[in-house]
Order: sequence, then C-alpha cells, then structure tokens
Amino acid sequence: MREYLIKRIVISLLVLWIIASLNFVIFQVISPISPEKTIVDPRMTPEVRDSLATLYGLKDPMSVRYLKYIKNMFTWNFGVSFTSLRPVVQEMSTRLPSTVLLLGSSLIGTILVGIPMGILAASRRGSKIDVLAIGGGLFTWGVPTFFIQLLFMLTLCYYASIWFGFQIFPASGISSRPPPTDPLAYMADVAWHLTLPIVTLILAGFGSWALYTRSMLLDALTQDYIVTARAKGLTERTVLYRHAFRSTLPPIATMIALNIPGIISGAMITEWIFTLPGIGRWYLNSMMAADYPVVQSVLFIYAVLMIFANLSADVIYGILDPRIRVGSRR
Amino acid sequence: MASVFSREKRIVYSRKIKGFWEEFSRKKIGLLGLAMVIFYVLIAVFAPLLTPYNPLSTEQVAQSFARPQWITIFPQYSDLPTTEKFPLYWSIEEESELIQSYGTIVVAEYEAENMEIVAVRLAAKFNFTSIPPIEFYFKFTWGGNDIQDLKYAIRIALFTPDGTRYSPMTDIYLMSLEQAGGELVTVQSVNPFFRQRLGFETHKNPAPVIFNQTGEYKFELNIRFQPKSTAASGKVTVKDTECVILGQVHGILGCDHAGVDIWTQLVYGARVSLEIGLLAAVAGASIGILVGVVTGYLGGVVDELMMRVVDILLCLPFLPLLLTLVFLFGKNIFYIVLFIAVFGWQGLSRVIRSQVLSLRETAFVECARASGASKFYVITKHLVPNVLPIAFASLVLAVPSAILFEAALSFLGFGDPRVPTWGKMLHQAFGFGAFTHLAWWWLLPPGIAITTLCLAFVFMGHALDEVVNPRLRRRR
Repeated sequence: MREYLIKRIVISLLVLWIIASLNFVIFQVISPISPEKTIVDPRMTPEVRDSLATLYGLKDPMSVRYLKYIKNMFTWNFGVSFTSLRPVVQEMSTRLPSTVLLLGSSLIGTILVGIPMGILAASRRGSKIDVLAIGGGLFTWGVPTFFIQLLFMLTLCYYASIWFGFQIFPASGISSRPPPTDPLAYMADVAWHLTLPIVTLILAGFGSWALYTRSMLLDALTQDYIVTARAKGLTERTVLYRHAFRSTLPPIATMIALNIPGIISGAMITEWIFTLPGIGRWYLNSMMAADYPVVQSVLFIYAVLMIFANLSADVIYGILDPRIRVGSRR
Repeated sequence: MASVFSREKRIVYSRKIKGFWEEFSRKKIGLLGLAMVIFYVLIAVFAPLLTPYNPLSTEQVAQSFARPQWITIFPQYSDLPTTEKFPLYWSIEEESELIQSYGTIVVAEYEAENMEIVAVRLAAKFNFTSIPPIEFYFKFTWGGNDIQDLKYAIRIALFTPDGTRYSPMTDIYLMSLEQAGGELVTVQSVNPFFRQRLGFETHKNPAPVIFNQTGEYKFELNIRFQPKSTAASGKVTVKDTECVILGQVHGILGCDHAGVDIWTQLVYGARVSLEIGLLAAVAGASIGILVGVVTGYLGGVVDELMMRVVDILLCLPFLPLLLTLVFLFGKNIFYIVLFIAVFGWQGLSRVIRSQVLSLRETAFVECARASGASKFYVITKHLVPNVLPIAFASLVLAVPSAILFEAALSFLGFGDPRVPTWGKMLHQAFGFGAFTHLAWWWLLPPGIAITTLCLAFVFMGHALDEVVNPRLRRRR
C-alpha cells in the first residue's frame, strides 16, 4: 500500500511538472502575445524598456527563465496581477472559498442524488426509476449545463418577479449587498444565493452518475458470487449492498476523479452566469484583460485541484480494492 | 480470379452491413436519434431556402425584441403589426429638365457654367393605417460622379395627415462628401441625435407620437447643391428611398436586440454545429484509434509512455485550457475544431487499447503472426477492422461532446465571430438583455436546438453501443 501511494504521488508530481512546463510553453514561448510585446511598449525609452525587461526577467536566457518559472510555480509565487497590481496569491485566496464551496457542494450533491438513484435503478430494472436514471443519464450527455441555468434564471428570477412580484432566487452575486452582519443570517443569505447554481449543477450532472452506477451494478449482479450469495439465502438487501455495490465502489471512485474536469468547467460557466466572485469568473475576466500572471496561475491551480482529486481517488481505490495492495498498475 | 474474390468480399460486407442494420433498426431510440440527425442535416443543407436573409447580416427586419409572428393568434397580441415598408415614389414639385424622377430613383444633372445653386424639391406620399409603432427608420442612398466638386445639402421633412411638420434632417451637410460613389444614409428613430433634431427629448420615443394617426403621410426631400468650380458637370442620384415602420412581430422566431431575424441564425447554426461536431469527432476518433491500436498491440515502452500521456491529458483542466488556447491563437473555427480533437481522444484510446489487448491473444492474430505477417499488416488487416464498430459507436458519442464544447466556448464569448452558432446566439441573448425583455423566443430556440441535436447523437450512439459492444450484448 505504501509503495503504491509513493508511486502515485511521484506520478502526480511529474504530471504537475509537465503541466507547469506546458504553461510555460504556452504563455512564454509559443504564445503570439508574448510578454515582451505586451509589457514592453515600443514607444518607451530604451532605459525604461531595459529596466522593465529586467524587472520581469525577460533578459535571462530561456533555460534560466524556465527554471525560475518552475520554481515560482511550485513555491506558490505567482507574481503580481497586471490589472489589480496585487499579488496573485492574495487575490486568489479571496476567491477560492466561493469556488471550493460551489465545486464541493455540487459534487457532493450530484453523488448523493446520482449513486442512490443508480442503485435503485439497477435493483428495480424496468421500473419508473430505472427509466428516469437512463433518461437522466442520456439527458446529461445532451443538454448544455448553461442552458439549464439560463432556463432556471429566466423562470425563477425574471418571470417570477413579474408573476409574484419578487425573485424566488437571486440572479446574481453570492450575498446580498450589503451582506448581513449576523453570521447565521450571512450563512443563510449565501445559501439562498447559491441554491440556484448548485441545484442546476446537480440537475445537469446526476444523470451520468446514475447511469454509470446502474451499469456497473448490473454488471456485478450477473457475477457468479452473487448467485452464490443468493443461494446462501442472504436477503436481497445484503446481496445488493454488501456484495454487489461493494465491488462497484473502486470504479466509482475513479469515476469521481475523471469527472472533476467537467465539474470545474461547469462551475466556471456557472460563476459566469450567476456573477459569483470565484476563480472561474476571475479567470475569464483576467483573460479578456490579458492578465497573464492570473491566467497561468489559475490554470496551474486547476491542474493542482484535479491532480489532488485524482490522487485521492487513487488512494480511495487502494483502500477499497484489496487487489491493489500488491501495487500493480490500474 | 481477383474479381471473384472481390465479389465474395462484397457479399460478405453487404451481409455484415445488412445484419448490422437489422439489429440497429430494432432499437427504437436509435431510430429516433437517426431521424433527428437527418432532420437537422436537412435543415443545414437547405438553410438558404428556409430563410431569405444572410446569417451574418445586421439588417434590421423588425424592431428590437420583436416577437414571433404566430403569436398574434393569441388575443392579447392580436393587433401587433408586422414591418411595413413604404418605398417613396418621388414626384417633382417644380418641373425642370435637369431633374428626372424614376419612381424611387431621382437623378439630377447639372452643368456648372455659372456655379449657380441647383435646388431640387421632391415630395412622396404614403398611406399609413396601422397602430402607432415603436420604431421607424428612413433611408436613402445618394451618389454621383465628381461628388467632391460639389457643395451639397439635403433636407428632409415629414408631414403628418393633420399637417404637423417634422424635420429629422435639417441641412445635413453629408460628412463624407469626399467619398465618391454611393452612400447609404439611415435616419433611425432610436438615434438620440435625430430625436433632438425632431424636437424631442433624447429619451422620448418620437415614433408613436409621429405615427399616432392613420392617413396620408408626406415626405419632402430638398436637395441643394452647388458646384465648386465651373469645370464641373455630372449628375447626382438619390435612390432606394424608403420609409420603414418596424413591426412588433416578425417571422417564425422574432428578432434579437438589434432587430435581426433569429430564425435565420438558428437555421444556419445547424450547419456550423454539425460541421464542428462531425469534424472534431472524426479527427479525435482517428487519433484515439491510432493510439489505442498501436499502444495496445506493441505494448512495452510505447504503451507505458502513451498511457502516461493519456493520464496527463485526463488531468488537464480542459475547458479553461481550451479558452486560453483559443484566446491566444485567435477565435477561429478551425483552431476550435483542432483543439477539441487534440484534447478529446483519451477516452476512446483507452477503450480501443483494452479491446486490442484481448484481440492480440486471439487465435487468428496469433496465426497471422506465426505465418510471418508484419506488425503493420496485423494492425491494418486484423486489429483496426475489428475495433472499428466500437470506435464507430464512440465516435457518434463524441459528436455531442464536441458540439457542447463549441457551444460553451461561444457562450462565453470565445467563439468564431464570423460564423453563426447557437452558442453565440445564447451569448448574445445573455449579454444583450434577453432576460430583462423576457425574450424567450431568443433564449429557448438555440438551447433547444443544441439539446435536441446532441440528444439525437446520444440516442444513436447509445443504440450503436448496444449493437456493437460485446459486453453489453452478452448481458441482454
């Protein structure tokens, strides 16, 4: 187990290094808008240009710049934002909680709705809930998340204010302005603001979980050991949860890791639609403002998040699947 | 001999396809998907026949946020008018041999012997019978040869049936006199400058006030020009004069914030979505099949290396990275397809690889190897044909994800501005006030179109998967 863990961590660090290098290549080497052109204005006097180039380390040879870049990325030294002129790390720390809240609650919500639905669907094949799980799964593949969100926004925010005279859920922001001072009231306010984004993300995502769990479970239910378990006279409940579902847990853990990119993109568009002050919205705004330190740091942070998710999925996989303890490849 | 062999082969293939079709046609959901895809393909192919407008034109066909025309069947919208165009047929009030009127075209010739001022006074009448509109505009094209030799002034006046006079253009010295050739002049009621000229406050809408009565409206056009030098001669034309009273309902799906037809954008959007989806899916699937087959068959270092690459690709934040790349390299549809393909093959390559891993242990592959077949031969003759069905199902399932990715890019404003896409429509609807105007006719159609097209491919892919995937087939 320990050997397996160490191997996974080493591979994760390797992946992180490759992503940082990719970042360097994209933003410093091949990008048509290189820092030289963006920062160094041709109208500047040579002295100013020189001092700016020195300040941004543009005079060093590429290899030195690369090493510095990698070192900075791994020591969380992301530089200073071009637009706000404040350290990127500082800016990021004010925005990260909102994103983590949105990502975490929608991921947990999706799992809590999707997996039980998949189990129910598999155990009652052909029933209404089975049809719902399959339909929801196919729906997830076909419908853009942002369209669901726009629909909810149109009905619950805009049409509601005409029909009922008030918005059932707010259309933008993470808290009222000014925010309530009482901490409990503040939490309730944030929850009220985040309900629509989270519910729409769950609606758009639960189907694939249900479908995946269902097909995994159906696969498991045809195995010989299930027949044995049933022949032993165990209750259907025990067979389903202790025998069949237990064996589907490792692939489901992998599935969680594989779903992280989709959830990150979904959260990014959600932040854009509902004007939430999170990483995704910051990223889009920074890109439009050509604020490269922010853009590359956010890309890196996204990669870190995903690698972390992958790593935890691997660890869970290792705990859940006794065969892994040998340390063999997935 | 060769021909006999090829005929046999043909029979085998046709039997295979027939069998495949028989099995596929038993899946109702697959047939539904196929029908929907065909429906969209037909729309895409016959787009120019379905709409008279150009998808990229910004021609204002009705007022901004005009509702669909069929909404007039409901009683509360029944009296909303459509766009009315009144071509202005000019009659010359003071006869002169230099000035000729040909309906909507007026030609004034001049010879500048003594640099005298030529004054042309024209009048046109039309009958207005609808309810007061919200927007109108008046347009004409003027031009002539040797325009730079002229001093030039145009004055328009509008008389309502009860005789009130409005003059939207008092002595407009046309700014681009230096420019020879034709120049389109549009006087819009929404323009605050012209509202002021009409004697209105800039925030007051003049249209309902001016056109608040039915009857005969009269336009007067005064053109005065004076040659700058004695050498000049030539002619000035004013043509395509038209007063357009913009309707509050239009077409099948109404109008967007700029009064542009939405149905046109929707119909042409089908083309772009299908192209992007199919191209990106085919390109991505080709990479996936190639990588999957080669790594699965060769194994060893190549396999290890490629699977690590796949691992890394699975760790990349796909949408943010794609946004950055599109932003850096330019919002070009070709790049978008390329990036979607390059970053979208990992899943398929894993499926193919696992399939090839079991295929390479089968007897026929071993036979081929034992009889001295090269790696290339085994891969192209034995492995690729056997993984193609599964690859085909995955390819069909890759189409909707490519379409969705492009839609997400366009929705965030990173799409190609030169192509009409459904994502771009949603982007504009979101950004230009479809919500505050409750313009469901602008928001719903592109979203429903994306959803149904993607679902069509998902249904087809789902059915195909059940037909070709041995694991799923066994379970039934």
